[in-house]
Amino acid sequence: MSNWKKLMGIMLLLLFVLLAACSSDSTTEGGDNSGGDDDSSEETNEEEGADSDEPYAFTIMANLHTPEVPNEKVLEQIEEATNTDIEIQWVPDNNYEDRLNTAFATNSLPEAVFLKNQTTFIQFRDAMEDEQFWEVGQYLDQFENLSNLKDNVLDNTRVNGNLYTLYQGRPLSRQGLIYRKDWADNLGLEAPTTTDEFMEMARAFTEDDPDGNGEDDTFGVTDRSDLVYGAFKTVSSWFGTPNEWGEQDGQLLPEFMFDEYKQTMDFFKEMHENGYINQDFPVTSKPDQQEFFKNGTAGMYVGSMGDVGSLYNDAEAINPDVEFDVHNHIEGPDGEFGVWAIPGYGSLVMFPKSSVETEEDLLKILGFFDQLMTPEVMNYAYWGIEGEHYEVVEDRALPTDDQSLFDREVKPYQAIEIGEPETNGRYEGYFDYEVKAKSEELFKDNENYLIENPTVPLYSETYVDDGARLQEIITDATYNYIIGQIDEAGFDDAVENWKSQGGDAIIEEFNASE
Amino acid sequence: METTTLTAKEEAKQVKKMKRSETWRRVKRNKMIYLMILPGLIYFLIYKYLPMYGLIISFQDYKPYLGIFGSEWVGLEHFNRLFTSSEFWMIFKNTLVLFGLQIFIYFPIPIIISLMLNEVRHSFFKRGVQTLIYIPHFMSWVVIVSISYVMLTLDGGIVNAILETLGFQKVNFLLNDDWFRPMYILQVIWREAGWGTIIFLAAITAVDPQLYEAARMDGANRFRQMWHITLPAIRNVIIVLLILKIGDVLELGFEHVYLLLNSSNRNVAEIFDTYVYVAGLQQGQFSYSTAVGFFKGAVGLVMVVFANWLAKRFNEEGIY
Repeated sequence: MSNWKKLMGIMLLLLFVLLAACSSDSTTEGGDNSGGDDDSSEETNEEEGADSDEPYAFTIMANLHTPEVPNEKVLEQIEEATNTDIEIQWVPDNNYEDRLNTAFATNSLPEAVFLKNQTTFIQFRDAMEDEQFWEVGQYLDQFENLSNLKDNVLDNTRVNGNLYTLYQGRPLSRQGLIYRKDWADNLGLEAPTTTDEFMEMARAFTEDDPDGNGEDDTFGVTDRSDLVYGAFKTVSSWFGTPNEWGEQDGQLLPEFMFDEYKQTMDFFKEMHENGYINQDFPVTSKPDQQEFFKNGTAGMYVGSMGDVGSLYNDAEAINPDVEFDVHNHIEGPDGEFGVWAIPGYGSLVMFPKSSVETEEDLLKILGFFDQLMTPEVMNYAYWGIEGEHYEVVEDRALPTDDQSLFDREVKPYQAIEIGEPETNGRYEGYFDYEVKAKSEELFKDNENYLIENPTVPLYSETYVDDGARLQEIITDATYNYIIGQIDEAGFDDAVENWKSQGGDAIIEEFNASE
Repeated sequence: METTTLTAKEEAKQVKKMKRSETWRRVKRNKMIYLMILPGLIYFLIYKYLPMYGLIISFQDYKPYLGIFGSEWVGLEHFNRLFTSSEFWMIFKNTLVLFGLQIFIYFPIPIIISLMLNEVRHSFFKRGVQTLIYIPHFMSWVVIVSISYVMLTLDGGIVNAILETLGFQKVNFLLNDDWFRPMYILQVIWREAGWGTIIFLAAITAVDPQLYEAARMDGANRFRQMWHITLPAIRNVIIVLLILKIGDVLELGFEHVYLLLNSSNRNVAEIFDTYVYVAGLQQGQFSYSTAVGFFKGAVGLVMVVFANWLAKRFNEEGIY
């Protein structure tokens, strides 16, 4: 009996030890990530005591666009320059929304949290209105650099006139066409200037053997399962479709109620029927889409023209004779060119009250972002260490040839940029590949033809709650129309369905808040 | 009259009391053994029962920053929304159809394979086959779905290339909603059928060889032996596994279905799991997706109880 008791006692003890170990694990977890440096920094902290020079420690949650978490080489430079001790929680881009929502639901967001895009910003509007995040607009004037942030972009991110976020700038529109210049030359084609010529190029690239190997092994346009950043939305702009919402007879209506949207669908349907576009594009991933372009299967790529750099890098390795070109100006049937614009920001950073407890803490964190917006620090974050990760050529940064080194050590940190080169003074990129340089020029040219989304400053509660789910109805219907699973009546049914499930309320609310 | 009822009542009370003290005494006597289930009990309390309090949010308009105690109560609003939504019946039907495929097509296959393997005399061959068909179980769905994608795509997929050279029409496997269900169940079979044979094979080896000898003596051929000895002997195992499978009725493999899901097969491929994920985690509708998950769990519970009851009706052992 006493043996039993002992045994049980030991087992219980073990259980408690295990439980205790588990809980203490989670509290020290934060420190573990940053590796061996911790010990030394803690010691120095103790020696210095509560000196005001003590690095301020906080955590940033940011979006990881590369497969690997970067090492801390660049981060250490940033920390040194800003006298902070930063931990970055990297979250892979693919499940950023999950993590963001889960962390929010469990009240475990860190001090500075990057949103993913406009859609996630809209999701968090409610919480911002409820003052769950710090209003930062009132403090911007205290900071030399933060006060330089562009007013028109800030206005796009206000909630009821208040500002809860700092923005990460993006060119307003990078959309355009990348195509195989060498194929076009073989067939005597010029860059398309109208949608008809675009269709002709897609046909010729499919049927006229552009690579001259005598085999029917090419097609025109390569696209992926993304109606917005894939080809569809950009082509729809050429046709003159509004950006998300447009005005008709004095009323704001969603883009898919416009004839131009249907024309775009018909355009894609025609390409799909004739095999000018990859047949499985509604389920094609971005890497697969790009692969068709890189390996010489497809000759036209509609999307961000800036992609030409990385596309060319890989394509050249497969076929050294490959030639690309970029083009933006393609007119629709009405003879007008237009291109859709984002509201000037890519991502936004916000500061939850649950983790930033006092105004003093907030000011310190804002202080960090203020320092980050100086050319010196921002160049660390964006380009890395001069001489090691980039060279300065003609006052621009030329990243190292060792792309994988750059991806591993620097590129992830670009996700914490605030502002844009105009306001944060970092180097713009220098491109020795002239087509890439041309694409940068075309971004600027695009700005003369922008189609803006008129609902950006407007508010609709139903849209916040249900917009994303409702949009799915339209997205599905659009694909199904293009691949011929439903006809126009079927698409109209989907629009009716959208309206009855809450779309009518969205239309009403947007028009009322105008 | 009154006294008799009273005594009867008292008697019943007495018996009850005795029974209770009897149980209590037994517990006391074996307290060390009972203590040993404590870790398991704690595990279930902490990880299975405690989180259930979160179900409360399906009756609230849950806002994370207000917390469970601060959020507004909305009663059955989310359930109302679910049951009246046009998508509900579609999702319900899709879930049941996939469940039916699992029960009627997938479930018998490991049994058949086990019976066939049992008949193989050459033990080297038998082991080899067993190992080979286990392997897919260790592949993740991501890999399996990607391989299928590469093979089935219209843009250079090998299956369509073969169809074409044989003079057939190309088939749009990935975008045609008619192909979703066959693709789903074939992938399930390919991945899980081999793994599923393990328990059946183990049950078969436990059958008394004397039974076979006796049957052979009576002139039963191999097929008769299988029908009259092997199958009845493993019937219990089959039924228990079937009940467990039915308990998983709505666990159709979120990852698998989510990977196969696309715009053009959503009308047949959207199931409760994928719907909960998209609505809850991607779009942040916590309360609504909890209500959906709650409903799914309730259906699962009803199914298990029903299956168990059915098993007992047929004089078989259930799982409880």
